[in-house]
Order: sequence, then structure tokens, then C-alpha cells
Amino acid sequence: MISVNPTNSSAEPLDLENLTQEQTTLEIKNLDLFYGEAQALHDISMKIPKNRVTAFIGPSGCGKSTLLRCINRMNDLVEICRIDGEILLHDKNIYERDVDVAALRRRIGMVFQRPNPFPKSIYENVVYGLRLQGVKDRRVLDEAVERSLKGAALWDEVKDRLNENAFSLSGGQQQRLVIARSIAIEPEVLLLDEPTSALDPISTLTIEELITELKEKYTVVIVTHNMQQAARVSDQTAFMYMGKLIEYADTNALFTTPAQKQTEDYITGRYG
Amino acid sequence: MKNWFASGKPWIWMTAGSVSISLIAVLGLVMMIAWKGLSFFWPAQLHEMQVANTDGEVSTLIGEIYDSENIPLSRLSEAGITLEGYHEDRVTRLLMKIGNREYVPLDFTWIIKPLIKSDKTPDGLAKVERSKDGNFYGYVEDVLENGQSVVNDGNLRAVLAKRIARVQALNEQAHELQTDEIGSINYELNELRLTQRRLEMNNELTDAALAELEHKREQLHQRYQELEDKLFELRDRAKRDAVVIRDFRNKEVTLPMYEVIAITFPNDMNVLEKAGHFLAQIWGFVSEPPREANTEGGVFPAIFGTVFMVLLMSIIVTPFGVVAAIYLHEYAGKNAITKMIRIAVINLAGVPSIVYGVFGLGFFVYMVGGSIDQVFYPEALPSPTFGTPGVLWSAITLAILTLPVVIVSTEEGLSRIPSSVREGSLALGATKAETIWRIIVPMASPAIMTGLILAVARAAGEVAPLMLVGVVKSAPTLPVDGNFPYLHLDRKFMHLGFHIYDVGFQSPNVEAARPLVYATSFLLVTVIVGLNLTAIGVRNHLREKFRTLDQ
Amino acid sequence: MDKINVGKHISGKFNEELEAVRNRVLSMGGLVEQQLQDALSAVEAFDEPLADKVLSSDHKVNALEVSIDEACVQIIAKRQPAASDLRLVIAILKTIADLERIGDEAERIAKVAKESFNNDQQQFLVSLENLGQQVLGMLHRVLDAFARMDLEAAYEVHQQDEQADRQYEALTRQLMTYMMEDPRAIPKIMNVLWSARSLERIGDRCQNIAEYIIFFVKGKDVRHVSAESIERTVKGKQGS
Repeated sequence: MISVNPTNSSAEPLDLENLTQEQTTLEIKNLDLFYGEAQALHDISMKIPKNRVTAFIGPSGCGKSTLLRCINRMNDLVEICRIDGEILLHDKNIYERDVDVAALRRRIGMVFQRPNPFPKSIYENVVYGLRLQGVKDRRVLDEAVERSLKGAALWDEVKDRLNENAFSLSGGQQQRLVIARSIAIEPEVLLLDEPTSALDPISTLTIEELITELKEKYTVVIVTHNMQQAARVSDQTAFMYMGKLIEYADTNALFTTPAQKQTEDYITGRYG
Repeated sequence: MKNWFASGKPWIWMTAGSVSISLIAVLGLVMMIAWKGLSFFWPAQLHEMQVANTDGEVSTLIGEIYDSENIPLSRLSEAGITLEGYHEDRVTRLLMKIGNREYVPLDFTWIIKPLIKSDKTPDGLAKVERSKDGNFYGYVEDVLENGQSVVNDGNLRAVLAKRIARVQALNEQAHELQTDEIGSINYELNELRLTQRRLEMNNELTDAALAELEHKREQLHQRYQELEDKLFELRDRAKRDAVVIRDFRNKEVTLPMYEVIAITFPNDMNVLEKAGHFLAQIWGFVSEPPREANTEGGVFPAIFGTVFMVLLMSIIVTPFGVVAAIYLHEYAGKNAITKMIRIAVINLAGVPSIVYGVFGLGFFVYMVGGSIDQVFYPEALPSPTFGTPGVLWSAITLAILTLPVVIVSTEEGLSRIPSSVREGSLALGATKAETIWRIIVPMASPAIMTGLILAVARAAGEVAPLMLVGVVKSAPTLPVDGNFPYLHLDRKFMHLGFHIYDVGFQSPNVEAARPLVYATSFLLVTVIVGLNLTAIGVRNHLREKFRTLDQ
Repeated sequence: MDKINVGKHISGKFNEELEAVRNRVLSMGGLVEQQLQDALSAVEAFDEPLADKVLSSDHKVNALEVSIDEACVQIIAKRQPAASDLRLVIAILKTIADLERIGDEAERIAKVAKESFNNDQQQFLVSLENLGQQVLGMLHRVLDAFARMDLEAAYEVHQQDEQADRQYEALTRQLMTYMMEDPRAIPKIMNVLWSARSLERIGDRCQNIAEYIIFFVKGKDVRHVSAESIERTVKGKQGS
């Protein structure tokens, strides 16, 4: 097959419609979302496979960030938001009444568009989540810091200045610090909401490299405006338009031979 | 011209002009009170004048010139004074402080300039500051001990200085003895009395307890007696010395040295000595308690009271305001009721401060304070403990007065924190409360400090409500001392603002007190600026630490 | 997607660039077609100047190939084309390589013809004519299909190659008969055989171009797969 075969995507394409139990981390079932009267998501259904990078692409306002924020219930913060349908994390609906949202968010971490370190030292930023859980043992914390910063490919750059303020880091370093902060509490899923849109191209590449490493341990879902980025880092890509899931396919297929005309028009930059 | 308007320059000039005017106004104010206040401490020349009265009799006056005035001649005529051989419309008259209160009807006198026959500033004129009856001016003639002169020829000044130092040391000891040790014995005696009363009221006063109390009281009385003997001995030793002054009537007057605070010879001083004296005077002003119905001495209790009350207010208002703001901003629903509450809070800032004073008096002092007295201090009744104006009630009243400022600026700060930081914390599994206490409040702390700065600025200058809830003209003790529990929040206190009012309007000689008014005003401004600078320093430090994400 | 819709990009400059490179491919195709036609005419009419013209026009084709290559590289670098745009650029890159080879083969035919004019092999050369017309027709039709990105036409050309191969085999057998009859004529006949071989190669390359067209339209690679699978792809509903 002639394709733009990205070097990182050695993974075999999966049959996304018929994933087995253990291949699936998240399953979204007939999800509708309303902001007041306006419907922002229309009947979304998809399965997100384990230890893979899934990308959501689409034009601004298509609902891709909204969908991402449904996965760790960040939309709960919006008062007028109403959700129908289910999101299953290993067969457990996260929107059920008895779900502890804080615990859920510990399992499903999230990294945002702009680097948002806390106004604390680098060290304190990384251990923030652990401290919330009441971890006090200095040795455990030290280990977590080293492991997380190494996991976020930041250790070598900051190991000598862990007590400096996190704001002294560059934008790209801050974003990696935020990723380190998220993986310090060992989530299963990592949601990345346009993680490089505020960064320069080189920092972007570092983060992208990191994402492909992260999928070994975590299930990664990334929202991005940058189609090339989706093509580079993801294993499967979902194209959304006007709150609907238009096409969800293996990334290689989607970027060379999209099945839907809307997808084709979007990724080739046509108005359609 | 049209081009000039189009270029926008007039706009720049206009804005710059208004800035300049504000700047000049502020600088002018500060410089005026600083000049008028500080020049009071510069040692003035002592004049010896021959002045004729209207009948042509000539008398001698010694003193310092305080003020001069140019008035129309007609005002003198109306007062029944005619000047022969003087033909101009206006005449200058001088206000002179002549001291020597025992021998003159008024220690300030107006002198009409044309009546001055001679005016000189001879060396050797002395200004004697005394702890009562004000200053005394004259020539030092002799120093006595037990009525015997101790001056050998020529060493008058040296002997004088030595004796003054000796007497002052004794006075100091006596004062310490009186305030510290005897004061604390008095305090303990009072406590004993209250304990006895309490036991009586609870019907627990057994004979044994009574005997115990009596025993303690006996001991205290004994110690009191010892200390009193010591005190009298010190006083007797201080009373040995006296100084002989030849005054303006050319009569020799013997002044007991223990009443003398300092004897200076301003006419003999050079500029450096005067500068040293100037600084010493200023130091005395800020570090000593007032004398002579606040017209002499320093203002230390007032400074202490002001700062203490403001700090106490800050401690009360900050947590209160911050918590209220957090509820309003983070938890309260965004509906009409919240809006109304917010508007009400903002409007609270517009209520005249005297109204707060009335409220504080009625609610805190009489209701809350009265209840506290009944519950906790029944033994002291009918004399109130908290049921009377005091520093605690002042601080609380001002805290309520400044609460809106803190709430508004804290809310402002909370709303400026980027939602991404909030979300970042929530996404790590923090609850809302954890996010607020660990992230939001620290990040809003610069705004909280801003609120506190505004609150302090407002509270430190507020006088009207304090007159109702705790400020007094003269407080015998500070709200902090060495007697358990060290902090006495029920005590009344002095305040610089009230001190200005008191000295400026209530003192026996308003004219004479005017420099003190300026000096105290300047001090008040300095204290407020100092408090604000401290708060601004803290805020800038916090700001640096919690720099937000504006990159 | 049957029609090539380069004109609908949001970036007008991208439209122009794609249009320009496509036009150059078409003119390169025209040039190559002319070369082949001239070579065949020269063989038929023993026209030496025409053969010289064919030889001398090859550098134009080469230059065009280089410049189109460069334009494609720039488009990839600057525009990062995806989906149909990407397939178009790839199809163009591959097509021009084949076109250049076709040009080379035409040149070879002309060279053989020129050498043969002096002696008595014209009789064999004439037998090339049939195959030549067949291949020329294929080239013409595939270029036409390329211009319109016409899936049906491309598939037709793809199937015609078999016919050309059969003709080539027939011609080879005929020439071998000649060789057996007259071994002294073998060197001359070998020349003719080379020309026939070139024509057959040109047919294969036309087939390649047809495959690229199918790849562009359908997004499926149809090289080295069975005829049935190709047919399924072409007739299949995939792609809109």
C-alpha cells in the first residue's frame, strides 16, 4: 500500500467496530450533550482501544473538546450542561450516581491547552496529586517525582532545580511538567486537550515524541487542531463535525483514503 | 492649531497636567505638615526683650518666639490699645512663649512689635523643661544639694549636667518601680479581690479559702510596703538636688531637680548641636508618653494604640472577608440573591463611619460586651470589663467598616485566577475545597493583600467611630503589658487621630498646641504610609511567588 | 471524486500550484506522445530527419521531468498534502517517471530506425507498425484518462495491455521464423526485435499510469494483484 506510513505507528490497525473486552478501555454509547437548549453532541458512539493513541480532529466548535471533557466529567463544572447516554470505563458507566468524581479523575488524567502549572515548586507540582491522596512519606514522593519526570522526558532538564518555581520553566517544559504531574498519580487514561497549541514547533515535537512513549503505559486520547499532529502521533483518528462523529478509523487509512467526503474536504483543506 | 489638536498633544497635556496637579497637592500636603511639624523640634533661639506696655512701663520678657502675625491697626484700637507715634496701617505682633507659669498669668503672650525697646539673644539663657508647670526660662545661677551650693567656680555647667543625669537615673528607677513592680502588685491585688468575689458569688468561699486569700493579700501588702519604702527613698534621694534660676524678673528661683527633665542652652548651640538636639527631641516625641494634658511630652501610647488597633483589625477582618468572598464567588449560586448580597456588601462601604461607631457602641459594647461581663466576669460587676469601650471593640467595629473592601478585592482576585489552573487541580482528583485551599487562595493572596492595604489605609485614619467605642484622651496603661494574660483587649487606648483632635481642639491653649497638631499629623501619615509599605512589600513578594499564567 | 477537484482548496495558491503541475504533466504527456508518433512515422516512412527530430527532442522531456519533480517536492514540503491531494502528487511523481521512460523507448525506436535505413531491413520494420499503432493508441487514451482522472478509461487501457502483449508475442514468433529461415539476417532482425520490445515496454508503462489513476481515484494500490481484484476495486462502491 502506498501511504504516508508514520514511523511511530507500527501498531497493526484494529477492527474498531468489533474490539474485544480487553482491547477496550473506554466505550462511548449513544452520547448526547446539551448546553441548555443547544445540543452540542449528537449520538456519539465509539470504542477507544487500550494502550493506543486516539485523536479527535475537526473544525472549531465541532465538539471534540466537549467530548474529551465528558470522559473525565469535566463538564460537570458547567451548570447548564446535560448528558444522555453512557461512557463505560471497563464496563462501568462513569455517569452513574455512585461514582466518586474525584476518584474517577485520578484514573482519567487530563492535560490542558495551555500549560497550567501551579504556583509552586517543580517538586510540589509533581507530588500535588499524591499529597491530595495523603501520601506523606518523603521517599515515596521522591521516587514518584523521579519516575514521573523521567516518564515525561523532563528529568534530565530539571533534576538539579526541583525546588525552583515551576514558572521558571519554558512553555514546552511546563507542559511536560503538567504531563508528569498527571502521570504521577498513575492514571489509566490520559486526556490531552490540544496540548501543543500554545507551544513552539520544537517543543511540540518533544511532546509528540513523548505521547508515542506514553501509550506504552496509558491509553491516550488527544484533541488537536493540527491534523499533521494527529497523523503523526495517533493510531486511530475520529473526525467530528457539528457535534457528530463523521468518521472514526485507523489513522493511516483516514489520512490517505478517508471514506467520507466531509473528512476528505477537511483534511485536504477544501471548503465543502 | 487644528493640526495641533489633531495630533492628540492637547490630550497628553491635559492628562499630564492633572497628574501634576494631584502630585503637587499630595506633595504640598505632606511637605507642609512635615515642615510645620518638624520645625517645632528645632531648638528655637531664646530672646530677652525689653517691652513697654501701653502705659509706658518697661518690663523684661524671656522666651521663644512661636508665631508672628500681621494685623490691621484698627484691631488694636478696638482692643483699647493705642500706639503713639506709629502711623502705618498694619502692625506686626509676635506670639511669645514665656513659660514660668507660676509667676505669670499666661505662659503665652502677644507682643506688639513697635513696643519692643530692645531684643537680644544672650548666651547662657537656659530653657528648663519640667515634668509639671511647663517650661521655665532664665539664667542658671547655682546648683544646690540639700540647700548647699555644690558649684565651685567655673564648673557650673558640668555640675549641672552631672546632677541632672543623677536625678534622671533616680527618677527612671522610681518610675520603673512604680509602673512595673508596684503596678503588677496592684494588678494581683485586684485579681485577688475578684477571686474572692467570685468565690463568694458561687458560695464556695470557705474559711480555708478565705484564709488563703488573706495570706496572699498579706504577703502582697508586705511586698507593696517594701517597694513603697524603696520608692520613697529613691524620691528622697532625687529631691536632694535643686537648681537656682534667675528669671525675667531678675529674681532667683529654686527649682527642685526631680521635676526637671532637661536644661538646654539653645543660644549657645551651634548648628550641629542643634541638629542633635532636634533628633533627640523627635525621638522623645515618638517614644515618650504625653504630659500636661497632652500638650507636652510625646505620643508613644497613641502610636502604639494606633498600630495595635490596626493590626488587631487586620487579624479580624482578613479571615472573615476572605471566607465571605470565597463563599460569594465559589459556592453561592449565580442568581439574583447573590447579586443583591454583593450590592449590599459594596454599599456597606458607603455608610458614614460614625454610624459604625454608633452600631459598635450599641451592639458590641453594650450587648455583646455586657453579656460577656455577665457570663464571664460577674465578680467585677457593676464595674464593666468588656461592657465598656475598649480596643477589641474598636478593632471589631473597624473590621466591619473595612469588610466590604476586603471582600470586593478578594472576589476580584478570585475571578482573575485562570480557570485552567482550577481545572488542572480538579483533573488531578482534587475536590473543590481542596482546590480552593491549596491553589486558589494562595494565588489570590496578592489581591487579598491589596484589600488589606486599602482596609488598613482606611482604618488607620478613622477617628469618629473610635470616639464611641474605645479611644480615650489619655490611657493609663497600654493594651499590652507584663501582667498575665499580657494582651488586655478590654482596655481603652490612645490613637493618633484622636490625639490630633484632642490637642487641636480640647487643649487649654490651642494656639500653643498647633505645632503639636502638625507634628502628630505628620506622624500619623508616616505610620499609615509605613503600614501600607509593609503590606505592599508583602504583596509584591506574594505576587512574584504566585505570578499568574500571563506569558 | 471522479473528477479531479483541485479548485476547491481554501488556499488559492495551493489550487494554482496543483493546477500548474498537472498542466505540465499533460504537456509532458503530449510531448512524449508526439515523440512516439514521430518515431513510428519515421520507421514507416524511412524518414531520417524525423528520426533525428525524435532524438533531439528527448532533452525537453527530461527537463520537464526534473521541473515537475521539483514542483512536487515543494508542494509536499510546503503544503503537506493529505488524502486525494497526496495521492495526486504521488500519482504525478510516478507518472512522470514512466513518461520519461516512454520517451527513452521512443528514442531507442528512432535510433534503430535510423540505423536500419541504409540496408535492407525495411521489410521487417514495416511489421512493427501494427504494434506501434496499438501502443500509441494506449498512450493517447491513458493520457486522456489522466487529464480527466477517468477511472473507466484507465481501466480500459489497463486491460488493452494484454492485447498489446499478445501482438508482441505474435511479432516475436514471426521474427524468430525469419531468423531460422535466414540466420545471416539475425543481427538485423535483432534490431527490429529490440524495437518491438521497446513498444511492449511502452505498453506496460501505459498500464502503470492507468494503475496510478486507479490509485488516485480509489485510494487502492492495484499493482501486483489479480485481475479480479482490480475489477472489484474499480467497480466497487468505495469512494464517492
